[in-house]
Formats: sequence, structure tokens, C-alpha cells
Amino acid sequence: MTVELFNQEFESIKGQLKSFLIRITASVADAEDIVHDTYIKALEKLNTFRGESSLKTWLFTIASNIAKDNLRAQKRWVENVTDIAKEAALSNKQFFEEAMHIRATSPQGQFEIKEHIAFCFTCISKSLPLEQQLCIFLKEVYEFKISEIAIILSGNEAMVKYYLHSGRTKMINVFDGRCALINKEGVCHQCSELNGIFNPKQKMQEEITKIEMAREAENKDKEQLFDLRTTIVRDIDPFQSKAAELQLHHLKHNRQVMEKYLEENSV
Amino acid sequence: MSVKAQTIRSTFSRETSISIDINADVSIIWALLTNAVDHPRWNSTVTFIEGQIALGEKIRLKSTLDAKRIFKLTVKEFVPGKRLVWGDSQGNRVYTMGQNSNGSAKFSMAEKIGGLMFPLYAGMIPPFDQSFEQFANDLKKESETIMNSK
Repeated sequence: MTVELFNQEFESIKGQLKSFLIRITASVADAEDIVHDTYIKALEKLNTFRGESSLKTWLFTIASNIAKDNLRAQKRWVENVTDIAKEAALSNKQFFEEAMHIRATSPQGQFEIKEHIAFCFTCISKSLPLEQQLCIFLKEVYEFKISEIAIILSGNEAMVKYYLHSGRTKMINVFDGRCALINKEGVCHQCSELNGIFNPKQKMQEEITKIEMAREAENKDKEQLFDLRTTIVRDIDPFQSKAAELQLHHLKHNRQVMEKYLEENSV
Repeated sequence: MSVKAQTIRSTFSRETSISIDINADVSIIWALLTNAVDHPRWNSTVTFIEGQIALGEKIRLKSTLDAKRIFKLTVKEFVPGKRLVWGDSQGNRVYTMGQNSNGSAKFSMAEKIGGLMFPLYAGMIPPFDQSFEQFANDLKKESETIMNSK
């Protein structure tokens, strides 16, 4: 492959790579650094690329390896990250001022419930072991085949299936126990609470019924509801959506809160 | 298919064992066995497990065999995809596995408890057979579910 062709192809994959990395790292700076490092590393090794996998698979392999190296030493988040982050936000006037400023001035400052569902998915996924998190995103959001994920993670297909199954089961249980959109007993109402803050004129119930996952909550089983949730995540680019700046601000806050929490609590 | 455990008793020891064919890759069986936090999800014989299942590590485990007791066990052997042993001063539990030529896996588990004092407390230790059978069936079911997932 020529450098020129590689550059063209890299440009077409870069957006997906960056969105994958922000969801894995929860850090814009880390995601951008890893995209850059992936480009450099791939360019250096371009003569070793034989086309045995697609270029996209090859680039995701390099990026995943760099991300794993970066994240290995970091503690995983906790399942109730959104509760802890909410508590911290309530006593952080600056956070709300910044958020309201973004909401009022940025073309990417809208608040949409679907965007918050995708944001929440990223936060909860960070409570999974890293391999499970990588597999979930690679399969459910970036639609790689199991055989391709095995290449990306330098493992075998059986292990990928194990990570997917255990990761999915854990996330399904977390959402079922927490998310009020799919379970009347759910304890987390952050979507509606934030919608009330950012979109005070909207009728929440009307907004919820626009979301298939919430509309079908009583008719579908937990696996199907999880699939509907991943469809929402798949359809949103965390850097390009109309809510991107607001959600990335929110994500930065949650990451800082989690880092502090994990340090203080030795989880 | 039901699988039966076997127990061999002698004056100074008791050994229970079980073997089962599982239609899955051994790496799945190994992952299920060694991922401690995941056990209560699929293993109905364990109600609580804490610690890392790795060579030399200590784990704390609560079993349905004795709901009030916390077993404090040390991981004594750890050969990925082949053999795992944990135990205490009373005995060891040995898990072994291997891939059959037809792609299925043979999984075996055995525990021998005993010693000179064994006759004094033998009557207080519940039989393991049912728990072993339950565990083997849980492991088979979960491994095969994962193996068959798309």
C-alpha cells in the first residue's frame, strides 16, 4: 500500500477510531493522542501490512494496543459512577455554569436524551474489565466480527465470546437495576433530570416515547433492550453530534470525579 | 445429560471426583473458572468469592455446602487451560481440563480431604457429590452458551 493511499484510507477511518477511543478512555486528549500515535506507528510499519485483515482492523489493533498500555495501570470505574458524579456536580457551581454556557452558545450544545443514553453507556462500560469493554464496543458499536476482534485483541474467538458474554451480562444487569427508562424501579433518573435543566420547556414523557428502547421496555426482554441501547450508541458520533460539546464536558467531569473517587477510596 | 460424582472413602480420607464433556473451547472454561468476580453469576454452588485466582493468591469463598463458613484457600497450581489447584490444610481441590480431538473439552474436578485426624471430624463434613454435580452442570451450561453465542 502506498503512503498516499494509506493517508486517504486513514482519513476515512480516523473518525470512527477517535470515537472508539473516547469511549474507551473517556478522555479527549488521550483519544487524540492515541489516534496520532496510531497513525505514526502504522506509517512506520506500513511495509508489514499484508492485507491479511482489513486496514480498519489493523488500525484498530494498533490503537487498541496503545489504549491497553495506557489504561492497564488505571483503576476501572465503579457501576454507580453516575450517582457519584451527580453528587459531585451538585456541589460544583462551576460545572453547571460551564454547562449552561455551552448549552447557550455552542452549536454542539444541545441536550438530547439519546445522547445522554450513549454517554451513560460509556460511563458504565468503564466499570467492566478492560477486555470486556473493548469487546463490547468493537462488536456492538463498531460492528467488527468476532474473528476480527480476536485479531485486534491478539486472542482467540472463544475468549472474545467469553468477554462479550460476561460484559454484556454485567451491563444488562447494571442497566436493569438502575435505568428508570427501562425499569420502573430503576434508581437513575438522570436523563429526565438533566433534560429538565437543559430543556425546561420540553414535555419529558413525549421525549421518552420517541426512544424505542423506552417505548418497548415492557415488551422486550433484557437482551433486546440492550441491543436497542447499543443501536442508540452506534448512531451517535461523540465528536460530531449536536450535543457533542455538552456531553464531552460532562464526560470530562465524570472522569475527574472518578479519578478522585478511586484514589480516595482505594477501590 | 446428567453427570454423577464419585466418592471413595477410607479410614483416613475421602475423595470426591467428577468428569464431564463440555462442547466448548478450554479457554472459555478456564476463563470462567479463574474470573473470581464472575463466579456467582453462573456458579450456583458459590454465593460469595473474593480475591484473585492466580498462583499464590489467597481467595475467600462461601459455598452452598456450608453457608455460614468462609473458606480461606490458597491457589497452589495455576497452569492456564490445563490445571488449577486451590486448597487449605485439610485438602485440595484440583481442576483439570483438556481439549478432545472432536473439539469438545474434558473437564474433571476432584477433592481429597484427609489426614490422621480425619476420623474425628469426618462426620461433620457434608458430602460433596451433589455440589460437584451441580457445579459441573453449571460450568457445562455456561461454557456451551458462550461457545454457541454469535
